[in-house]
Amino acid sequence: MFNHHFTNVSRYTELILYKTYADLKAETERTYLGFLWWIFEPIMYMSVFYIFFDVLLQIKTENYVPFLLVGLTVWQWFKSCLSHGAETILASHHLMQQVHLPKAIFPIILILTDSTKFVFLFILLLVFLWFYGYGVGLPYLALPAVLLVQFLFTASLTFLLAAIVPFLPDLRFVVENLLMAVFFMSGIFMSADAIPEVYRSYYYLNPIVSIIESYRDILMYNTWPSGLALLIIGTLSLIGIWLAVRLIARFEYVYPKVMQ
Amino acid sequence: MSEQKSPVFSLRHVGVFYKRNRGVFGKPFWAIKDISFDLYQGETLGIIGRNGVGKSTLLRLMAGIIKPSIGEFVNHGYQASLLALHLGFIHYLTGRENAVLSGMFMGLRKKEVQAKMEAIIEFSELGEFIDQPLATYSSGMVARLAFSVAFQADPDILLIDEVLGVGDAQFSQKSAKAMQEKICSNKTIVLVSHNAAVIQQLCNRVVWIEDGVSKSEGETTTVLTEYEQFLHLI
Repeated sequence: MFNHHFTNVSRYTELILYKTYADLKAETERTYLGFLWWIFEPIMYMSVFYIFFDVLLQIKTENYVPFLLVGLTVWQWFKSCLSHGAETILASHHLMQQVHLPKAIFPIILILTDSTKFVFLFILLLVFLWFYGYGVGLPYLALPAVLLVQFLFTASLTFLLAAIVPFLPDLRFVVENLLMAVFFMSGIFMSADAIPEVYRSYYYLNPIVSIIESYRDILMYNTWPSGLALLIIGTLSLIGIWLAVRLIARFEYVYPKVMQ
Repeated sequence: MSEQKSPVFSLRHVGVFYKRNRGVFGKPFWAIKDISFDLYQGETLGIIGRNGVGKSTLLRLMAGIIKPSIGEFVNHGYQASLLALHLGFIHYLTGRENAVLSGMFMGLRKKEVQAKMEAIIEFSELGEFIDQPLATYSSGMVARLAFSVAFQADPDILLIDEVLGVGDAQFSQKSAKAMQEKICSNKTIVLVSHNAAVIQQLCNRVVWIEDGVSKSEGETTTVLTEYEQFLHLI
């Protein structure tokens, strides 16, 4: 039994990795510029914010451009996983009519493809920051932990959405708008000091705020991020992943029966 | 004779329903209602019935994709899968990459598909085209690749839904012939069709399904006679 289980896990791992490679490759084959779009597209997106906030509004905050770019890069990873990931199980309807597969692999594949694209963008951000004049300090050692916490947090919400959307496809529209709302409340444009004191503790209930601040602490201010906040977010995310995966497994044989 | 062997699948009064509409108010729609039969090692079992009587749902049940809503379905430890064409094909990838991906979806390991690659290329007659993107293929070429890959998957029990041959006239004959050879070998096969002639030619035993209920099970000629009498009555 255990042996059988192990064979399955290694089979599905192999499938997930190959499908991730295949999806990434298909995406690069679809356009003339190929994988360069993974960088150009976010740059175009970020330029809009740069032009609006820095050039037009002329926000006086010091070092506003790097401040903004760290927030936007981190947000981009979170947002793309959630908005693409929500549809993964729903979109695999045709495939799951023909072969039995654990449905959790569909959001996993999406998270891996979008995270691969994020790696390119993140490296670009680091290079920009170094050219801008920020150095590499000891707090960089905490960077893997912050990345891991964000990965877990993103995965927990993506799994949860992917599990529910097949039953409530309308949820996708709600998600898009919720993401927009959270986007403005995640400290991408301004630091927490700008929030009135009364609301600030509520403001920090949004894990993205702490995650983005952790990145800025490390990359810009050369200080250690708050370990406690990261530990709490990481732990809650692991519980969330566990619950969402249980939920998907609970509906394993129901998803193929949901009418398209 | 086959009755003396132990069954690989046993179905007892199996029913499956879907929700007709989305949401809380969806009324159940019974795709199959009361199906009972056994499938034995090494036989070719035909499942005959008109369109929309639940044959595809039954295949999905046997492939382990869905579970029965009522009744009992016992798989005595075998791996069954549908003959699935174009499974997971991606337009922008090469024939070779699609073969690997599709084979892996069917349950093969990457190494196993790669070991069968020569056979796939030869059977599909794609030659050099195997390393070109699918987007450059004609529909006939895609069909040839799809069949050649699906044909390589070798589950304990093969479930076939209507399709025997695919592609242009010449390849259709060749693929149908290969399929018939596979069916006539010692493999355990379930063949679903509404075509009595095909069933007559290939199956040892037949189950006849009408409106989600297994009406009759037994020797091919007997069941087919009943089925044809029924068709004349309506």
